Amino acid sequence: MSLISPLFLFALLGIALPIWLHRLQTNATEREKFSSIMFMEQSQKRVHVQRKLKYLLLMAMRILFLLLLVLAFTRPVFFAPPEGAVTEDTTHHVIVLDASFSMLEGNSFAQAQTLGQELADAMGADDIASLYRASGTVDIITATTTDPSLIRSGLNTIEPDYGRLDIGAMVTALDSLIANSQANFIIHFISDFQQSGQAVRFADMIPDVINGRPVALNIHQVKTENVPNWSVASVEITGAGSVRVGLINNSTSEQSAERTVSLSINDVVQQSLTEIFAAPADGVSYITFENVIFEEGDNRLDVTLTPNDSLPEDDVRHTVFDNSPPAPVILLSADPESLAVTYLTTALETAPRGYQVELQNINDFDPRILQRYPWIVIDDIGAVNESLSQALQTYVDSGGAILAAAGERALGLTNIPVGGQNIGGGLSFSRATTYNVQGINTAHPALDSSVGWNNLAISRALPIQADDNSNVLISLNGNVPFLLERNIGLGRFLLLNTSLNNTWSDLPVKPVFVSFIAEAARHLSNEALLVKEQVINSYLQLGQNGGASGQVYDPDGDSLLSLADTTQAQSIQLSDPGYYRIVTLGLDSLVAVNPDPRESDLTLMDTQALQNWQTMVAGSAGNTELVDGTVITVNEEESVAIEIWRVLLILLAVIVLAESLLGNRYLRFNTGNT
Amino acid sequence: MQLGQTDNKNAHNRLLDPGVLSSLSNLELVAKAVVEGFVMGLHRSPKYGFSQEFVEYRPYAEGDDPRHIDWNVYSRTDKTFIKLFKGETNSHLMILLDTSASMGFGVSHSKLQYGKFLAASLAYLASRQHDAIGAMIFDDEVVQYRPPTSKSGTLHGVIHTIDSAEATEGTAMHKPFTRFREHVKKRGLVAVISDFYCDPDALMESVRPLALHGQDVIMFHLLDPDELNPDIKESTLYEDMESGESIEVDPIFMKQDYPERVKAHIAEIEKTAKGMNADHVLINTNEPLDRALHSYLTFREKRA
Repeated sequence: MSLISPLFLFALLGIALPIWLHRLQTNATEREKFSSIMFMEQSQKRVHVQRKLKYLLLMAMRILFLLLLVLAFTRPVFFAPPEGAVTEDTTHHVIVLDASFSMLEGNSFAQAQTLGQELADAMGADDIASLYRASGTVDIITATTTDPSLIRSGLNTIEPDYGRLDIGAMVTALDSLIANSQANFIIHFISDFQQSGQAVRFADMIPDVINGRPVALNIHQVKTENVPNWSVASVEITGAGSVRVGLINNSTSEQSAERTVSLSINDVVQQSLTEIFAAPADGVSYITFENVIFEEGDNRLDVTLTPNDSLPEDDVRHTVFDNSPPAPVILLSADPESLAVTYLTTALETAPRGYQVELQNINDFDPRILQRYPWIVIDDIGAVNESLSQALQTYVDSGGAILAAAGERALGLTNIPVGGQNIGGGLSFSRATTYNVQGINTAHPALDSSVGWNNLAISRALPIQADDNSNVLISLNGNVPFLLERNIGLGRFLLLNTSLNNTWSDLPVKPVFVSFIAEAARHLSNEALLVKEQVINSYLQLGQNGGASGQVYDPDGDSLLSLADTTQAQSIQLSDPGYYRIVTLGLDSLVAVNPDPRESDLTLMDTQALQNWQTMVAGSAGNTELVDGTVITVNEEESVAIEIWRVLLILLAVIVLAESLLGNRYLRFNTGNT
Repeated sequence: MQLGQTDNKNAHNRLLDPGVLSSLSNLELVAKAVVEGFVMGLHRSPKYGFSQEFVEYRPYAEGDDPRHIDWNVYSRTDKTFIKLFKGETNSHLMILLDTSASMGFGVSHSKLQYGKFLAASLAYLASRQHDAIGAMIFDDEVVQYRPPTSKSGTLHGVIHTIDSAEATEGTAMHKPFTRFREHVKKRGLVAVISDFYCDPDALMESVRPLALHGQDVIMFHLLDPDELNPDIKESTLYEDMESGESIEVDPIFMKQDYPERVKAHIAEIEKTAKGMNADHVLINTNEPLDRALHSYLTFREKRA
């Protein structure tokens, strides 16, 4: 034991105080002098002795109280060996149980648990063990212990999930989890050892050897033969009312099988087809459903295979087909007959997503309808008056988005409405000035796939001064921004610094304009963030300004986000198969989630590969006799410091209570008799 | 103030109260105040020998105060005679004061303090009666000894001896009384002032030789009120002032049995005294001193 603050020991001198007080009290009250006791007789009841003992007990308690108080201040620390402290004979059994999706096949997981139990039973007296669950992540189930029963009970708590196990990632995670252990290791990996789980680089499957400690790998394979497993590989909408389904046999052990494929739309079975499917060279057999009727909006397509095989969880595949009509978007213009309106309308209606343009005269526009639209377009930002500017500001603040362009009406402005950027120095423009595109931020979603910006002929642009809050996406010579974005509240304001009537630049008549409008529309409507089909354990992006910011419902219909998270959560993990519903401003969309198809491939790792792996792990430690533990290098044992001041405080509380009770009792004795 | 000019009873009672006397630091003054107050209360009784009525002459003997020689007779007869008055005897008083540790006990004032007052008062009284006076202070040994004499200044010396006594050791009567016998051969009065916490048989063994020797013994048995009737509310651990031993007693015993035991002891001491033809006077130290002085005068009168 050592003391962190030993100077407090000087306070032990305070113990003299209760001793002195008790001595005074004893002298004052216990004895009474008398001339002679020759006629006295000893009392049969030794009250004095009892009282003296009580006094001594009281004094002892007070001394103990002071002692503990001083000790608590000195902060005594005990140094104990850590749990599972190692010796030269200690072997650390790291038991890793594969709980990925493929372990749901047949009785694979039950066999894995049995193997784990046997390992726990075989632990030596000096051995320590820890239990890990490996799937999409590696989780510690039972910390390092010498008690096999804890390992056994830990094994019973593990259940397989829909995650995918990558052995390389698993070994990397395991490295960091066992880095602090000082023993020699035997890693017991209990798995089906799918070929698809093998790391791309074989070296990634070799655990690090820390401080030269020996590591051994024991492979416990739950099955040795490939098992046929048919699953739905793909679902495609190939035309109006036509759905093509691809089936795959993930094992080479069966060349063909008869399966009934059923297609359900929104939980209603539309068609069922039964065929004998052969396994072609590319592994995928197709079947097509015709005359399928979809509902408007997002449709849930469930393709089911029957009869089920030994891994029934992948015999159904969820897909979302968006059969929504073109999304409405408002185009505000002061001149509905202008060329700018024509160019914008054409570009929006021909975008892959397809938009229904609702043209509104900006002078008669009622801003109250803005909340119905996730984004709007303004052909000339200069036409926005002050009251509309405030309404648009509020709209963007609350999550809306605006695509605006400059125009003739913007020439007299000193700053950009809504965006707030200053238009510098009262500069005027002449056709004599020409501009070239000098910089493009191609990483921006609105410029993701559009090319041809460098070929534009630009004769006019507003001398906008981009402030710190504005993100210049395309810049011209002279640092004049051509396309800039500003995040305002929860929304975005995207400004194109040119008119769209083919007078300031030739952008509206260039192909890049159509692709740019489509990308910008996807970006501003947040459709870009939403991938309609995901695999389990992937993350749905929920940027604060993203489309998924709002509420997310899991396949069971439970909301996943708290009120605060609806605007703050950046992403959410999709951990269950089925359909997640994302509801946000102007958007109500579904995301289909399926198990990772690689987990459906039950083809086992080659036996030779497994042996090579095992040998390489042992070889990396420089010693193949690791299991015997004959050669080990163990770091000096690190002690764990245990502070006991909390225990002392509890004892202090008990002593105070006991002292109070005893003192009170003694007081009652005195008052009761005198 | 002249003797007999006032008989203010309250005044003399106040002077005899040990509580009042304990506030006086001069023992001689205490003795004088006690005796003068006491004498005033006697109403000039010739019985006790305080009148100045001439009785007879007797030849001067060694040890007599020369101041008492009648020089007129000497001038006529050329012989020295002492003038005797009524109440005077040719006696001496030896005061034995116990200063054992137990005499130090007392609630308002100690028994030793009371004993000092009594001893000094007796000495003063005897001096007034022209008796030779001596004193012996003892515990388990003889602490101080002053042989009886009627020489000038004897009273002052005896009172000083008494005044210097301190309660110290235990009580043992045998040695002091043996010493007394060895030094005092002449017959006289012996006043023993003690609390007599001793074995009555041992006391008898010690005092009997004095009686047989012809000494007239008066035993002033001093006890504090708390010794006679102790009043405690709870079990108490008592420590013997002489032996230092401790004993725990309960209040019921101290209220019921203890007084009985003390009474039995007193009775034993009294019986012992009677067996030696001695007087035994039990004195509560809260009582005024006049009863003790009365007892002494009565005793003296009987033995004169």
